[in-house]
Amino acid sequence: MKSLQKSAASIKEKHSIQKAYLFLILIGLPLGLLILSLTLGRYQIGPIDVLKVILSPIFPSIAEGIPDIAKQLIFHIRLPRILAALLIGASYGATGTAFQAIFKNPLVDSNILGVTSGAGFGAALALLFLGDPWLVQVSAFVFGLVAVFLSFFGSRLYRTSPLLILTLMGILVGSFFGSLTSLLKYAADPLDSLPAITFWLLGSLTGITWQNLMPLIILTIFGLIYLWTIRWRLNILSLGDAEASALGVDPTRMKLGIILFSTLMTAVAVSVSGVIGWVGLVIPHAGRLIVGPEHKRLLPVSISFGAAFLMIIDDLARTLLPGEIPLGVLTGLIGVPILVLLMRRSRTGW
Amino acid sequence: MLLEASNISYAYLPGKTVLHDVSLQLNAGETLYILGKNGCGKTTLLSCLAGLLKPNTGRVYLDGTRIEDFSAAERAKRIGLIPQMHTPAFAYTVRQMVMMGRAPHLPWLGSPTEKDHLIVEEALEQVGLIDLQDRPYTEVSGGEQQLVLIARGLAQKCPILLMDEPTAHLDLSNQHRVMEIVHQLGQQGLSFTISSHEPNDALAYADNVLLLSGGWVTEVGEPQEVLTEPLMSAVYGIQTEVIYQNENGVKKARAVLPRQPLAVKPDSLHEEDSFLNMVFQNRKEKPQIILVTGLSGSGKTSWCKQMIKEAAASGYSVEGILSPGIFESGRKTGIEVVDLVSGERKRLARLREEGQGEISTPRWVFDPDVLVWGNQRLQNSAESDLLIIDELGPLEFLRNKGLLAGLERLDQGQFEVACVVVRSSLLPKALQRWPNAVVVRGQI
Repeated sequence: MKSLQKSAASIKEKHSIQKAYLFLILIGLPLGLLILSLTLGRYQIGPIDVLKVILSPIFPSIAEGIPDIAKQLIFHIRLPRILAALLIGASYGATGTAFQAIFKNPLVDSNILGVTSGAGFGAALALLFLGDPWLVQVSAFVFGLVAVFLSFFGSRLYRTSPLLILTLMGILVGSFFGSLTSLLKYAADPLDSLPAITFWLLGSLTGITWQNLMPLIILTIFGLIYLWTIRWRLNILSLGDAEASALGVDPTRMKLGIILFSTLMTAVAVSVSGVIGWVGLVIPHAGRLIVGPEHKRLLPVSISFGAAFLMIIDDLARTLLPGEIPLGVLTGLIGVPILVLLMRRSRTGW
Repeated sequence: MLLEASNISYAYLPGKTVLHDVSLQLNAGETLYILGKNGCGKTTLLSCLAGLLKPNTGRVYLDGTRIEDFSAAERAKRIGLIPQMHTPAFAYTVRQMVMMGRAPHLPWLGSPTEKDHLIVEEALEQVGLIDLQDRPYTEVSGGEQQLVLIARGLAQKCPILLMDEPTAHLDLSNQHRVMEIVHQLGQQGLSFTISSHEPNDALAYADNVLLLSGGWVTEVGEPQEVLTEPLMSAVYGIQTEVIYQNENGVKKARAVLPRQPLAVKPDSLHEEDSFLNMVFQNRKEKPQIILVTGLSGSGKTSWCKQMIKEAAASGYSVEGILSPGIFESGRKTGIEVVDLVSGERKRLARLREEGQGEISTPRWVFDPDVLVWGNQRLQNSAESDLLIIDELGPLEFLRNKGLLAGLERLDQGQFEVACVVVRSSLLPKALQRWPNAVVVRGQI
């Protein structure tokens, strides 16, 4: 009996050691990539110098001897852009995981309710008639929310099978805004606004300023905190409304909160970066392969992997060719093969 | 009283009421079985009792308080629902599934703690699944999945568990394994309300049984009093027989089985216990209907012909009609009707061609004049010993047309012994009408 307890204790110890390792990896991976990404670019800055520059606001003496241009480059060009990649990746990883749980479907992400199509339309509208980049971001954000609002309350018109109707409404609203965007493209000036709309829709993190970044930082952090706190309950929601309700969870209220926060996060992400697909779809699968489907463990992994994935994609977009490759193109080119491989390897029931 | 429903009714759509005026009570440590046909409202009743559906009229009380006055979490601390087995979208482990039962006990933003893990382990221990705790739920056997859901209910720590068909799709050994565990938990003081298709489980494990048919309560009471042949037959719409066993000198119902049609051939009166003898001795007490059943072409008419022959040989008089098929080059192309008194025969029906016929079934078009003639033959009672009606089909039972005189005469009991041909698909309808009929397989 004593030896049994002892072995149980040692198993528990082993588990907690594994847990500590996993925790280190989940924190270390995005942080390491952040530093690495800051070194990349046409102007070479070594990792030690990058660290020194980042720490210089706290220890001003540390960055002596590093050229001003390097500091400028890091603080005003590279850091906002790489932070955006980190936050957007984390946001897509988390919202994709949450949406797959509440839709009981491993093939959806937070775009299923039409937020991206709505935002695309909003951006195109502003690019065509207003042109100011800040207004483009605001318009994209607002129309992203409008699209989800329409999907959500449109589905409330039906009394039966709300989940299926909600999915269908999302697809319908998405297609509708897609058509509106096409209409705007058709009407746009082929030399000026049409390329602007097209490139916006391909997704890019070029030219991000701290001003663009602020709403993204605030909404993403709030949203991540919310999803983090309810992550264990995602398990229960994924069993369906009736069972969740019988287990004492109010599925309607809970799903409303998740959809609200996820939509704010996704809308602000799209408004900053344009359309970057596939991250929310692929990342949760990768996470499940490592820690299984249980959401208490899966959500942190998805956040970390999402952040890391989009930083790598952005690094490739910046460095692979002399010009930039649109991010939305790269996530598709890399994400789709990865998803195919992951689906092959995934266990029954994902 | 832990759980009480008083006069609850529920309709998913206006005008389509699936539960009518259902009342029930559940005391601590009691096991209540709900039996009834598919679609009789069992699952709806459980959902109302669990507080997932709000009855249109009537109330559900939990510990004396209206169930809708509890918050979802407070309700789930008092009553748990173990759903029918299902495959979740994600392959959670057994332990993770059971842990979900802790949800009502955790603060809104909380995750499970060490204490919850201990409770989950205890629940898994109780149902004997502790060794499977790290296996994916989707990969354990059906019986084990059901036990996982029971363990989740135990982790929920509520005094009442509702179970929706816990033994559906399980083999005999797993049914037994699951029900024995439920029974032992019941003896430890848990209360169960179980919807089931297994009357035999109710005989073995229930303290009380509620029979539901068409959304109405047919009867509530102790299993030995409620699971009787007449009630079981009424609830399931088939003839049933209850098998009894002697237990310490007391006759106790042990099993409910569907009553099989008799596989007998008509024979003459040479032997004391021959079929004809039994039938004709019975007729002295009451009119007796014999339903001759079987699939199309199984020999129901031949069976009647044999019966007529043997009865005539024994000196019994016969009246009624037969309807043998008309065959052309091996294919049945028509139906004749033969009056057994006069021997007259007429063509009753022919195969349907496109868009024809006022009085017809999908395959046959009937001659209205011959139907009138047939009805007259059945009305003019010759007061014979044996009445043959071949056959009463969908026309009569479903459309209220055809040989209605035959139906009427049987309903009014104007005969001594009647041999009525009814195809298998209409047998439940016929038995609803004449519950005391003897059913035989029309095979020679």
